[in-house]
Amino acid sequence: MRRFSVIRIRSLEHLFDLAEKGMTNPYFLAGGTDLLIKIKDDLLIPPFTVLDISGLQELRSIHFEQDYVRIGSLVTHGEIEKHPELRLLFPSLTDACHGVGSPQIRNRATIGGNIGNASPAADSIPPLYVYGAELHLVNSKGERWVKIEDFFTGPGKTIRNPVEIIKEIRIPAEKRDYGTYLRLGQRKALAISKISLALAGKKKNGSMEDVKIALGAVGPTVIMAVETSLYLRGKELSSEVIKEAGNIIEKEAEPITDLRSSKEYRKKMCSTLLVKALTNWKQVA
Amino acid sequence: MSDLINLNFTVNGEKKHIKLDPSMTLLEILRNILKLTGTKEGCGKGECGSCTVLLNGKAVNACLVIASQLEEAEIITIEGLGKGEEIHPIQKAFIEEGAVQCGFCIPGMIMSAKALLDENPHPSEEEIKWGISGNLCRCTGYSKIVSAIEKAAKER
Repeated sequence: MRRFSVIRIRSLEHLFDLAEKGMTNPYFLAGGTDLLIKIKDDLLIPPFTVLDISGLQELRSIHFEQDYVRIGSLVTHGEIEKHPELRLLFPSLTDACHGVGSPQIRNRATIGGNIGNASPAADSIPPLYVYGAELHLVNSKGERWVKIEDFFTGPGKTIRNPVEIIKEIRIPAEKRDYGTYLRLGQRKALAISKISLALAGKKKNGSMEDVKIALGAVGPTVIMAVETSLYLRGKELSSEVIKEAGNIIEKEAEPITDLRSSKEYRKKMCSTLLVKALTNWKQVA
Repeated sequence: MSDLINLNFTVNGEKKHIKLDPSMTLLEILRNILKLTGTKEGCGKGECGSCTVLLNGKAVNACLVIASQLEEAEIITIEGLGKGEEIHPIQKAFIEEGAVQCGFCIPGMIMSAKALLDENPHPSEEEIKWGISGNLCRCTGYSKIVSAIEKAAKER
């Protein structure tokens, strides 16, 4: 592989000092499973500087607090998928992380990297939408909290400044009755999602009370299926309701045709995945 | 480019202190510097798993890790599995089951199997398939590889 300039970041203070001095085209290296491939494919135009943040231990932990679960941005997909408490609270997220890449990729790829990379097909992002996650962004000037749905502006594009770091992801520690993540890809492993659906919902007296649905790979960013959620509110999980919800989401989604799938296929599959998710919920309820 | 860095890490139980370019991949370090050529380069992009090694006990693609990430790391390659002349039980099971054809994918396949069995000593067939889902084999059709891993698990 070509040689490139790498700085091993020792602490956030070290990063902020460097940022103050100014750098040409800085890129963060966390797990490296996307960035190193981009470098190999000559997709980053030199000169650029790779800031290796993978040694920052403070970004590697998961904390359970009264109101929030806080996940450090360097926590890997493998750590999330295998975490028993996360599985109980956020099954859509642990399911999504379970299907990313391969065991080798999941052992390196970080959740912060998946978010920062901002692919509309990123698997960890739709679950973070349905669970109402917020991102803690930090740079030498200060810090800010951003709702996940306000972070992305397009494929590969976010509101993050070049040397602003995603420090952690916090998710309201709220137990739902059901959560799932369904994806379609060319094959089970090492395939980018053609379409994905995250769903998390609560029930009250037998009716759906609060159902959140997010769709991946059907637009420039992940989107929430707001109309479909509204339709489901207060309804029982009957076969008729499930079918109608499938029709609504098909109208609501506005995917594009690209090299992985056609627009028509994606629309149909939004419906298929939702029907499958709701049917599974009905069966476990 | 970057200045060389002094790196301390362990490969197959042996401590190494080397001066390296921080952007060099673990795969390049293993094959070109340490001459451990059992680890293979296939795609170089994390798709094929030929370069799978254990990094701090976990299976990783050596092509997607760079030197700057290796401080104090413990690496096990295919060369580190056996004890002297004695091969590892997983290697033995692969031979006995006829799980090797051209052999190029096998070091990576065996390292993934090792990582799987270390974490889950008695995996189901599905779990074995998922455990080696990051390793491509273009000869065998996988069924003998899965049998070999089942056999190795039974004989542990």
